[in-house]
Amino acid sequence: MEINLNVINQVTVITIAGNLDSSTAPKAEEKILPLARPGCKIALEMSHVPYMSSAGLRMLLLIYRQISGSDGQVVLVGLSEELKDTMAVTGFLDFFQIYPNLESGLATII
Amino acid sequence: MKPLTFSATLDALSSIGEYVIAATDKAGLGQKQAYHLRLAVDEIATNVIVHSCPKSEPKPLLRLRVDLNEQDLAIILEDTGLPFDPHQTTLPNDLHCSLEKRKIGGFGIYLALKWVDQLRYERVGVWNRNIFVMKRNDC
Repeated sequence: MEINLNVINQVTVITIAGNLDSSTAPKAEEKILPLARPGCKIALEMSHVPYMSSAGLRMLLLIYRQISGSDGQVVLVGLSEELKDTMAVTGFLDFFQIYPNLESGLATII
Repeated sequence: MKPLTFSATLDALSSIGEYVIAATDKAGLGQKQAYHLRLAVDEIATNVIVHSCPKSEPKPLLRLRVDLNEQDLAIILEDTGLPFDPHQTTLPNDLHCSLEKRKIGGFGIYLALKWVDQLRYERVGVWNRNIFVMKRNDC
């Protein structure tokens, strides 16, 4: 699992590549959680995440909690059908802004 | 496919995932079924690794094998951790709640049980045995 950071139009684009399971999600949390601050603008690019277990959900939950109630913004882009299914049955889908690709995600953050 | 044995550490998860996916290829399962089976096995294996004697040395063992017949693919995951029947866990009852109010965790077993056609649990001597079954004509 690799994480790359990139700033596009003042939005921090965090690209995750690889599986998010219990062996990799803690490393992703370590890198991403410090960035999820009040006022942040983040696009989480997940089109290269073929697999996500409950460990990935936990990470999303922590990100959500850090920015909710603040004016921070996090969008998720490029989720596979399977990742969306997992988020849907656990009631996560409704709480995140989800876009099919980075372009459409970035267009909504300003 | 040959059975595999791992020491119960988080490093084993990627190999466990690959093994399950290879078995689903052999059984000709559809992409979603394959994903769901991998998810179920991964969640239960993770539970053993994280919660079942995480500090004990040597680590508990995890053993993985496949039983393929005309109707079903079964992945059999055995471990020497503490007795644990996934059907006896309390599943999260707050899935409709806002993410701010949720308990962190508890999704793993829920996801393990969610999509498999069957998950059978047996305790055999010092082993927990979880049998994950997917129907082959269901793609």
